Amino acid sequence: MFEFEVPEVDYTQYSNRQLVAVPLVVLGLALAVIFGWWVVTGAPVDRGIDFTGGTELTIGTDSEYTNEEINSLFDEPTVSVQGINTGTDAEYENQYVVTFDNSVNTESVRTTVQSNEDLTLLGSGNTSPLFGAQNQRLAVIGVGVAFLGMSLLAFAFFRTFVPSIAIVVSAFSDIMIPIAIMNLLGIKLSLGIVAALLMLIGYSVDSDILLNNHVLRRSGGFYESTHRAMQTGVTMTVTSIAAMAVMAVSATLFGIDLMADIGLILVLGLTADLMNTYMLNVTLLRWYKYEGVKR
Amino acid sequence: MSQLRENWRVVMLVTLLILSAVALFVPGVPPGTTGSEGAATDRSTNLNYGIQLSGGTRLRAPIVGITAEGINVTEADRVQLESTLAEELDIDSIDVRVRPRGPDRQMGAVEVVTENVTQSELRTALGNNGYQPETVRDGVTAETRQEMVRSIDEKLRTSALSGASVQIVNVPGGENFVSITAPDRDREELVDILNERGVVKIYAVYPGGEGGSYVREEVLQRDQMDDISASTQSEQGNNWAVFITVRPEAADEFSQRMVDAGFGDGANCGNYNHSDIQQTEGDGCLVHTLNGEVVTARGVRADLGESFANGEFSNDPVYIVPTNGSEQANEIALNLEAGQLPAPLDLSQDSGASLDPALAERFKQNSLVTGLIAVLMVSLVVYARYKRAEVVIPMIVTALSEVFILLGFVAFVQYPLNLSHLAGFIAVIGTGVDDLIIIADEILQEGKVETGRVFQSRFRKAFWVIGAAAATTIMAMSPLMVLPLGDLSGFAIITIVGVLIGVLVTRPAYGDILRSLVLDED
Repeated sequence: MFEFEVPEVDYTQYSNRQLVAVPLVVLGLALAVIFGWWVVTGAPVDRGIDFTGGTELTIGTDSEYTNEEINSLFDEPTVSVQGINTGTDAEYENQYVVTFDNSVNTESVRTTVQSNEDLTLLGSGNTSPLFGAQNQRLAVIGVGVAFLGMSLLAFAFFRTFVPSIAIVVSAFSDIMIPIAIMNLLGIKLSLGIVAALLMLIGYSVDSDILLNNHVLRRSGGFYESTHRAMQTGVTMTVTSIAAMAVMAVSATLFGIDLMADIGLILVLGLTADLMNTYMLNVTLLRWYKYEGVKR
Repeated sequence: MSQLRENWRVVMLVTLLILSAVALFVPGVPPGTTGSEGAATDRSTNLNYGIQLSGGTRLRAPIVGITAEGINVTEADRVQLESTLAEELDIDSIDVRVRPRGPDRQMGAVEVVTENVTQSELRTALGNNGYQPETVRDGVTAETRQEMVRSIDEKLRTSALSGASVQIVNVPGGENFVSITAPDRDREELVDILNERGVVKIYAVYPGGEGGSYVREEVLQRDQMDDISASTQSEQGNNWAVFITVRPEAADEFSQRMVDAGFGDGANCGNYNHSDIQQTEGDGCLVHTLNGEVVTARGVRADLGESFANGEFSNDPVYIVPTNGSEQANEIALNLEAGQLPAPLDLSQDSGASLDPALAERFKQNSLVTGLIAVLMVSLVVYARYKRAEVVIPMIVTALSEVFILLGFVAFVQYPLNLSHLAGFIAVIGTGVDDLIIIADEILQEGKVETGRVFQSRFRKAFWVIGAAAATTIMAMSPLMVLPLGDLSGFAIITIVGVLIGVLVTRPAYGDILRSLVLDED
């Protein structure tokens, strides 16, 4: 049985500048990656077919195919071919997910698979460029409104500038870091990832509110309050990371893309949140408590 | 009694759990389901699965059409304007629809439901006829959208598709599109059904066969009809009927057929045998069938017969199908209309998904396994942290009961579950366990919970954080609930409902449970 104790951090050893430096540098790097991506590719993230339009087929077969062989089955160019671990009880030994861009006619690639006796068409999904563009606009509105609403609530809860802006900055960084890593890993933005980013706003704020609440609204010294908040907050975040990590692994093995995406983004975002809450947010609060209030 | 009152939160939790169990497992409890159906389809629960978890096809497509709005056109000018515009734009008159001013709309509108006409062409054509539209836009009128839903729904029902549904989805500031979901059908089958023609037939049955036997002939086909409406026959009081305007170019041919059938001087229908579309006596009948079954069979009045014979019918070519009541009249009109959708769907612009039932079934099982592994992982981490069974076990049970109540809710409202909803369940477990950890840490902190007052104060402190966190989660999810972002709306709804159930019922109840367990121990 493994042990899990939240370590006690001696914050007095570090200056505010030292503590803030790490999360700010990471955020800076993340923003640089996203901005660089924007300049080079024309979009801050690589968008999947949910946003660009395109077609995805799920094919079952008992034969073994290489990606090149799958490509050659279609007259149309494929964007990607992904083999899926089907497990022992599956209907077919092999399963492939083939993605096409939006120039492809869904009916025609479906027919290609249906007319091949060796292949069974298990599923297909398609998004037209029209809907993709609509999804993109709505997703940007959705995330924007959610973030704005969260910021307003943060200010309504604490009614002072520094602790509230600490929550907002930390949530912002929690979203940007996974997006940057996504770009580097070559993961494309899907609707599932948008859901994960919104979930991240909710999760990220949890531990921040907890910390602010302990430090600002409770009796007791700063370090004692921080320690108590960390006991609870780190447990919360680590529990969620553990759950999301196994979900990401298991969903990837099963080929359930939506859940795998959500799991991965949350693991990345919650890990970033640990850093942001207990380095960035704590420091801002310490500055506010010891120096900001005096002004 | 007092103990019950003190632990009212636990009482409420148990009540909700029982209600959920009933909603989930007792067949026929959710409104709109029947007990026998539950038994017949070997469903072990009342849960309703969407296509991602049970297979089937979903199509979302925009409606083809452009609409000119703010036109001062009245019912009297409708038919004239429709045919003039059709001529001018060189399109079929069935593809032009004038929505005159009336009780339901302040200003008239004209819509053209074909891809061959541009907005400026429509504006010019209207201008040539002395109408100045305020706006010309893509899309069709709200009335047409509703008719689309009705006629697609009708098509789905007549094709024996169970559990199929159709709705209009509004995109704020954008287009409207039609969303159709059909379980147990693949994409090609669904498209075929949408393209299927109507099933109302109009026959003339008359003596003319060998040896005086009666023959049956279809005399008016869908493509010969122009306008179809169900309303009362004003001159005959409250009799409901379907009024079919025969297209001008087909009217003469129709008249000729009627004369050929011997109806030129009227016909007495006699006692028509409704069961087998056979006739043995009388002059002949006009027989109207719906899906092969006879709706009504009537003779032909002498004056109507004469108008066929002398060609007067073509001046006002309205064929009247008498019916038994308004419901039947609407059904026939709808079926005739459904033969051709009020406007075509732009299937080249569709978004959709189609999934094999077997693969969907595996998704269902695998996501259940994934969820269970995640819950197990949570239990392990929490146990490693607290190492006290009386803290950890109620925590897991509470988190799971939240999911159970949520499932009960979903079963009760018969919301079709998809993968995105399962992700919502995971989000709910996640925030739930977070909150339970906050409650546990607050209540278990140093200093015993001897008095109710200490407990209450600690509980309130914990609850402030939980409430604030829940408010932010709901705030973050609420845009998705309103925006039609595919599956994400369902994800947001599940998460919000789950957080509400959690914050209002289950998570506070955990505080009570923990208190009694901790107090017992001390």
